[in-house]
Amino acid sequence: MATSSLRDKYCIVGVGETEYSRHSGRTTRAMAVEAVRKAILDAGLRAADIDGMMSYQNGDSTPANWVAPDLGIRLNFYMDVLGGGSSTEALIGLAMGAIEAGMCRAVAIFRSMNGYTEFRIGGTGARAAQPVRGLDLAQVPFGMRSAGQNFAMTFMRHMYEYGTTSEQVAHVKVAHSKHASQNPKALLKDRVTVQDVVSSRWIVKPLHLLDCCLETDNATCVIVTSAERARNLRQRPIYVMGVAGRVSKPRTDFHWAHGPISRVAGYYAKDIVFGQAGITPEDVDITGSYDAFTFTTMLQLEEYGFCKKGEGGDYVSSGIIELGGKRPNNTAGGHLCEGYTHGMNMVIENVRQLRGTADDYCPKAADGVHTYDYGPRMCRQVRDPEITMNLGWAMPPTGSALILRR
Amino acid sequence: MTTRPAPDSRGPGRAYWRSGADGVLRLPRCTACGRLFWYPRTHCPHCGSDAIDWVATGGRGRIYTFTVVRQSPEPFFAARVPYVVAMVELAEGPRVMANVVDCDVESVRIGMPVSVLFEDLGEDIYVPLFRPAVGGAG
Ligand SMILES: [Zn+2]
Repeated sequence: MATSSLRDKYCIVGVGETEYSRHSGRTTRAMAVEAVRKAILDAGLRAADIDGMMSYQNGDSTPANWVAPDLGIRLNFYMDVLGGGSSTEALIGLAMGAIEAGMCRAVAIFRSMNGYTEFRIGGTGARAAQPVRGLDLAQVPFGMRSAGQNFAMTFMRHMYEYGTTSEQVAHVKVAHSKHASQNPKALLKDRVTVQDVVSSRWIVKPLHLLDCCLETDNATCVIVTSAERARNLRQRPIYVMGVAGRVSKPRTDFHWAHGPISRVAGYYAKDIVFGQAGITPEDVDITGSYDAFTFTTMLQLEEYGFCKKGEGGDYVSSGIIELGGKRPNNTAGGHLCEGYTHGMNMVIENVRQLRGTADDYCPKAADGVHTYDYGPRMCRQVRDPEITMNLGWAMPPTGSALILRR
Repeated sequence: MTTRPAPDSRGPGRAYWRSGADGVLRLPRCTACGRLFWYPRTHCPHCGSDAIDWVATGGRGRIYTFTVVRQSPEPFFAARVPYVVAMVELAEGPRVMANVVDCDVESVRIGMPVSVLFEDLGEDIYVPLFRPAVGGAG
């Protein structure tokens, strides 16, 4: 398979985020400004070096052209798109395209949301008062609305077809809670057990409370520019080897009505992104498989070929995905434990891992000095990772992916 | 005070949501390629033709997948948890979304035979629901 002509030509050069909390007390505009500013400083750029800005949202955030002026940035390109979990990787690809087209030179991509105090993804709060539109009107007569409800029927069918158990999949939460215990930023730093997960209350079968991610207030940012420019900046350049954005199943509405529903978008995305990068799953050192729910992590790892189809339950319960294992997943704790960001924190974490500067409890973490002791409140840096992969996921039928290298 | 949220009965779904007026569940069928499909669309998702008519089904099928909802932001459903949402694979082929009612939620299984009934919401809208079938999937 031919590799991408853009492989290794673009880099992520800066990352930034606000606190992950459930009490921001601030506007999404103020949080976005903080995250973008931190990413600019992290990159060693000046505000005037940023001339492109993108964001994604669901009517719950502040657009780029309001955030840029607060930082003194004049834009040559901006775009705010509708969407959630599959947007991060897709926008990185679009930013590369905008720079390649000569539209701008450096793009800051942000996501800012008061996901707990203002607009809860679970369907309560401001979201519950929103008018229902479009095809959702064909689901509401049956009480089918929240993200968890929309995903649940896919998970149930996977359990039926492959014998996947709640206990196997609970290991995703166990692993991510272990990782979060090494992360000073994480919203939940306590390690949990399989028993804790399966004995937590039911939300929507087969999801218990601890199978679901944390609604969170936060803003996050990554900065994309050319590899040529990246070489003269403050951080070690992290190269984009491959990217796939919002690759979809044959039906994106009522996908449950078509084909085997235990097959998810990664099945269609994997050839694009691995083909561009010219690598296989075996070459990947760290994964960032989207954990809106424990099951989404499992299903994507399986679909992208990190194990055989149907063996995701065995894979996630084998120890492979934990720090110290062969290929840890979401080493900062992900959406289940660090905080819910619609995908951004998983890309930010992989960038830091590839730099060797995971911001854990090691005293000299910022200088890349780590103990590699994965006990609680210690280290979360993986030893010498070369390639990471992000597997992003929105609603069940659409997904995105990103392969990075140092 | 709370009533079941109504579907959008404008557009190609209109015939689906009013089908239950005579107790019969109908599906769109493409007259070009002969295939039935769901959800109702203006064009056949298999071949792209816009020649669509509606045919009666037997209203029977099996549960392809389902979930039991224990928490809902909708007042109507919050008062009725736990409830079952399922994709029912009809004997004629297509899968449709509906609640499974008139049974213990813990007894619902994938593969279980079910048959249709309707809830009259007024304004010519009849929401299809399913319950465990007597005598198999038909
Ligand atoms: Zn047709």
